[in-house]
Amino acid sequence: MKIKYFIPLFVFIPVVLIQLTVIPFVSIQGVVPNLLLIAVVYFSISNGQIFGTVTGASYGLLFDLISGNLVGSNMLSLTVAGFAAGYFSGETRREKYLYSYSFTLVVLISALINAMIFSFFSVMDFNTNFLQALFNHALLPSIYTSIVSILVVIIPYKRAFD
Amino acid sequence: MFKLFSNVWNQFREYLVLISLVLISLSLLTQNNNPQVQKVRALAFGGFATVTSVFYDVFNITQLKNENQALRKLNAEMMIQVSMLREYGILNAELKGMLGINDTTSLPFLPSTIVSKSLSITQNTITLNAGSNEGIKPGMPVLSYRGLVGIIQTCSENFSIARTIKNVDLKLTVKNENKRLNGIMKWDGEKLVIVDVPRTYDFDVGDRIVTSEISSIIPVPIPVGIVAKIEEDKTGLLNLIHIKPFEEVLSVENVFILMLVENVEKNNLELNFYNR
Repeated sequence: MKIKYFIPLFVFIPVVLIQLTVIPFVSIQGVVPNLLLIAVVYFSISNGQIFGTVTGASYGLLFDLISGNLVGSNMLSLTVAGFAAGYFSGETRREKYLYSYSFTLVVLISALINAMIFSFFSVMDFNTNFLQALFNHALLPSIYTSIVSILVVIIPYKRAFD
Repeated sequence: MFKLFSNVWNQFREYLVLISLVLISLSLLTQNNNPQVQKVRALAFGGFATVTSVFYDVFNITQLKNENQALRKLNAEMMIQVSMLREYGILNAELKGMLGINDTTSLPFLPSTIVSKSLSITQNTITLNAGSNEGIKPGMPVLSYRGLVGIIQTCSENFSIARTIKNVDLKLTVKNENKRLNGIMKWDGEKLVIVDVPRTYDFDVGDRIVTSEISSIIPVPIPVGIVAKIEEDKTGLLNLIHIKPFEEVLSVENVFILMLVENVEKNNLELNFYNR
């Protein structure tokens, strides 16, 4: 059995530890970067769309269970985000999107999709201004996440998981 | 037939996987109150919280320094207040003695530390290092020395998860402390608001908001915040009251759990009343 299928599981534990313990200290007005999403996008681009989708679902479900969120909410949003990031996968595209600053753009797109779906199940009601909600709940966290994802590009670990 | 399925799978497998997982997510979303799902969740976060509690302590040291400084300042302020309260206490005891009123009982508090925080704009939760072994039950209020922080949602043996007031799923009955006006407070993803307040209700900016005695969750008045802004809602018929919370849930580290669940007390009281 290929070891690559288990790598996301090993990566999940340190990533979720940092997400739950360190990341709250770098929150800006309650806006925090989503490290799980960065990991899902990474695996989706490097291993393909199905792998990314399943990784997104697994990460989302596990995170829902251990963080006390509504079970299924992160699973749904990360599944779709992993699927979307998978469009940037492929033999020719991998180098282009994984090891360059294009990665942050893919993270931004996936984070927007993830945040919009997550927010839709969390806050939407008739009193919500849709555009304002989109800005506050989706755009700001997504931008923060994509900025943090620059670390993936600049830290020279690169092909460790390939 | 097999060939047909094989063709469909080969052509659309990405979409089939996506649809299957989305359907599983949606069905899980509808099963959140299922006892089995809650049991699995309690086991999962209970196991993981043990790890995060160690990890969190390491990163917490700098925060503790700041908190200690704030506490020292608060301590000095409270020392003055305590001396004033002593005076009032003596007077109060004297007056109560004259009127023959029994003193109120003290409230059972359990100190606890936050071991991890799950922050998102809509669903903020905190994990505390106290669980069902210490007598914690879902529904118990979590507060700090400044005010309300949240409500216990789930417990494992040694840990519990609380929904903070900045969680869209937590709605509380609160009241204006001075004017005794009740309303429903919730987090709308951006701010704490009391919703659907009739325009005839006399709320003013700066009024103190506390939890209401009529709340089915919180049994005693706990400070929540002050009125920051009053805004007309979209219908023009009702007001939306913005609340500035006393406690910033993102930075709180140490909390107390009020070991009371209102429903149980009310039920017992009503039961005793009917049995009489």
